[in-house]
Amino acid sequence: MFYSRAQSNRLKVQRQNEEKMTSLPARSEVLSLFRSLLRTSREFSDYNMRKYVKRRTIDAFRHNRNLSDPAAVAAAFADGKSQLGMAKRQAVLYSFYAPRAKNVMEINRP
Amino acid sequence: MASALRSSLLRHIQVPVSRTLILNGSNMKAVRSMSSHGDDHLDKEVVINRVLDIVKSFPKVDPSKVSPDVHFQKDLGLDSLDNVEIVMAIEEEFKLEIPDKEADKIDSCTLAIEYVYNHPMAS
Repeated sequence: MFYSRAQSNRLKVQRQNEEKMTSLPARSEVLSLFRSLLRTSREFSDYNMRKYVKRRTIDAFRHNRNLSDPAAVAAAFADGKSQLGMAKRQAVLYSFYAPRAKNVMEINRP
Repeated sequence: MASALRSSLLRHIQVPVSRTLILNGSNMKAVRSMSSHGDDHLDKEVVINRVLDIVKSFPKVDPSKVSPDVHFQKDLGLDSLDNVEIVMAIEEEFKLEIPDKEADKIDSCTLAIEYVYNHPMAS
């Protein structure tokens, strides 16, 4: 099947738009990623890691909250997803080497 | 032979049974064994206070503005990320796991209190 140049250009633009649409994460997806990262932060056996992952997640989302360039948003979202995967794997790894004593910060003082 | 021995042994074995079980500081006479919840449901008052304490302790929130019917984003000037953080803190406090769909809907103290109060596993 043959397309005229105008037609094929139009198709190209359409495809690009579709790509943009699919790669741009929805607001709910971003919040869901945020929530998943915070959930994962709780799973760490080590106090310092629990707090660090939580802090790092919040800082990163705050840092990127005003992104407007679709490509940058998509890149940040993809990065967050890969970080979530890493955090999940690390939480499992850390559980094998869980600290035997509580961190001093975990001890409730009267 | 073996069964006779067993029954004669069993007749002599006694296990002390504790009659009352202390749950949450209250003496409960009738213990519903195998029932993990339902009897120790949280008071509305308690839920309200604990939810308000969480919201008040959030760094960006002015504690004097917090009331049981306050809206997180409209009244407290928080954004959607803060909203997620607060809901996560509530989850942690009441040892719940709130699904994303439900968590997205919770955007005010009223809804948070309502959700926690109606949740059978809240503790």
